[in-house]
Amino acid sequence: MPEEPRAAERRPAEGRPPAGRPAAGRPAEGRIAEERAADHAAIERLADDLVPALIAKLSASGLGEIEVGEDRWTVRVRRPADGASGQSRRSSERPSRSQPGHAGHGHAPGGFEGHRSARDGGGSRTATHASSNGSGPEGGDGSGHRAGDGASNGHRVVATSPAVGVFQPRAEMTPGTRVRSGDRLGAVDVLGIPEEVVAPSDGIIGASLVEPGQAVEYGQDLVIIELAGRPAERAAERGSAG
Amino acid sequence: MFRKILIANRGEIALRVLRACRTLGVEAVVAYSEADRDSLPVQLADEAICIGPADARRSYLSAPAVISAAIVTGCDAIHPGYGFLSEDDGFAEVVRAHDLTFIGPPANVLERFASKEATRRLLGSLGLPTIPGSNGILRDDDHALAEGERVGYPLLIKPAAGGGGKGMRMVRTPRELEASLNVCRSEARAAFGDDSLYLERWLDETRHVEVQVAVDRYGRGVHLGERDCSVQRRHQKILEEGPTPALSLEARQELCTRAVRAIVSAGYENVGTLEFLVDRDGGFYFIEINCRIQVEHPVTELLTGIDLVATQIRIAAGEPIGFSQSDIVTRGHAIEFRINAEDPEREFRPAAGVVERYLPPGGPGVRMDSHLFAGYEVPPFYDSLLGKLIVWAPTREAAIERSRVALGELLVEGLVTNVPIHQALLASEAFLEGRMTTNLLDRVGSSAFLAAAARA
Repeated sequence: MPEEPRAAERRPAEGRPPAGRPAAGRPAEGRIAEERAADHAAIERLADDLVPALIAKLSASGLGEIEVGEDRWTVRVRRPADGASGQSRRSSERPSRSQPGHAGHGHAPGGFEGHRSARDGGGSRTATHASSNGSGPEGGDGSGHRAGDGASNGHRVVATSPAVGVFQPRAEMTPGTRVRSGDRLGAVDVLGIPEEVVAPSDGIIGASLVEPGQAVEYGQDLVIIELAGRPAERAAERGSAG
Repeated sequence: MFRKILIANRGEIALRVLRACRTLGVEAVVAYSEADRDSLPVQLADEAICIGPADARRSYLSAPAVISAAIVTGCDAIHPGYGFLSEDDGFAEVVRAHDLTFIGPPANVLERFASKEATRRLLGSLGLPTIPGSNGILRDDDHALAEGERVGYPLLIKPAAGGGGKGMRMVRTPRELEASLNVCRSEARAAFGDDSLYLERWLDETRHVEVQVAVDRYGRGVHLGERDCSVQRRHQKILEEGPTPALSLEARQELCTRAVRAIVSAGYENVGTLEFLVDRDGGFYFIEINCRIQVEHPVTELLTGIDLVATQIRIAAGEPIGFSQSDIVTRGHAIEFRINAEDPEREFRPAAGVVERYLPPGGPGVRMDSHLFAGYEVPPFYDSLLGKLIVWAPTREAAIERSRVALGELLVEGLVTNVPIHQALLASEAFLEGRMTTNLLDRVGSSAFLAAAARA
């Protein structure tokens, strides 16, 4: 496994991050070539066949979500929460980012890595939601707002940028606001056309990782969503990490 | 000169443009898709910005994503490389509308040359010989059959848009023509979004020779000699060299001089390439123009010592060319080998995977343009070009000898590459004697070619 290239963490507004800064959010173990080839084949099949087919099936059925798994892969396609019924455009036009269970998989600026980590994160995958697998570097150490480059743990997920442009949050979406999966948090302006930023999951808005009006790149972490519920489990994890 | 350039491409050409920017003292931002996050151009860039997912339609081919990235990073120009948006006049126009400069011909010039069929007529009227063909775009099957009868078989069906051999088919009879039209239309529509077709008479046993030109905004144009790209597999170039072994010095000079004269008259601007077919008797016929920097541009750079990408950027910035035809001296012989991740044993099927080890060759006259490094994972989403080995020597024979050594040194472990086909070429009499024609590999069959080389 090569060293993580430093550029992986670069943002348009920053310079080069300090050399040798450890990259976050990647499974560390090396992988053999066949595994990678299998991953590539699976990714291609996912993008070309499986995900569109699942979406079609989901739209045609009255189901809330569909999950299929094969070998090391699991894909879950879920309808937006009830409150967001007006947003069917997202599922039909932009399949690869429209399902919370897909977009929120693993750390955000690397959808494919996210898929891989679904395997590496194994056990925790089904705990709450597909986006909550434990591939991130932080345990539940309560270290505040460090989002680990979009890696999500059991407590929070991160809404990421759907495009390269300028981010504008919605004024009413302040920290502490309760949101449902699919709610609009703001928009990224691309040459005057707003691309919606949506909550990847039900929860409570936490810290914003970028300022209003700031330039963002595709996949960049924008807003933390603290997952609601399961307080007992959260407390337990916090205790064990301390 | 520009302050900061957005490089809207990937792989070896993104790296090549980055290097040109550095030598010009211009800052560069590499725009990349999620699949290229760990790539070498992204690692080496002054600044990099993710513009979309692996799917090129939403990243490298997305005009809004590319232009938005240029704006938010404070760039004043966009270099499109080759492929992707490099010859898209609509994109060039939107770039201009956002007060950015497209590094290539201006939008109106790209538009003028967007149709291969119209370009053929335009340059034909300006004194370049063209292959007899249909009178304009084929309106329907009946028109095609009538034009086919008039021009004479065998014929080549060609899409008016695009390139790269897509939607092209050779037909020997009216029945074959009729049967192929729909296939070609749908291939052309899928590849270029335009299903206009035209016909050209098929010339057997031709060589592909192309002339590199550069024209500045002030109408001053030069040619930088020619390249021979006759070694092809299914209309895809795999090896290019210069000068062409097919023509005498006088014939080469006449070809290049006529090409540059016609293209300046046609109002072209920036670097470009005019492609010709050369028949057995040395007659040449213009077939199409490429309005971009080409994969094989290093052949010309080694022969002339001129940095073509820097020249392209300077011209786009409004600078005069700064040298005249008599300043350009072509020396020696250069050969470029395209190193592709594809398996010659399995019908050149593209291969993806991880580069376990990578050792580029070296020595006098050896240049390797590649984005490989040990540990790099070649993504399966894009073309299979891993890099280009370009070798220069004072004579063709010496260049071939150096090429053998360099190809032997090149080590790419973990991936299957097409290096065996290059070694087979360097062992084949047809190549050594300079007798390659564009259909030779397909006619002989690549596997037969490899087997013959192994026996020799």
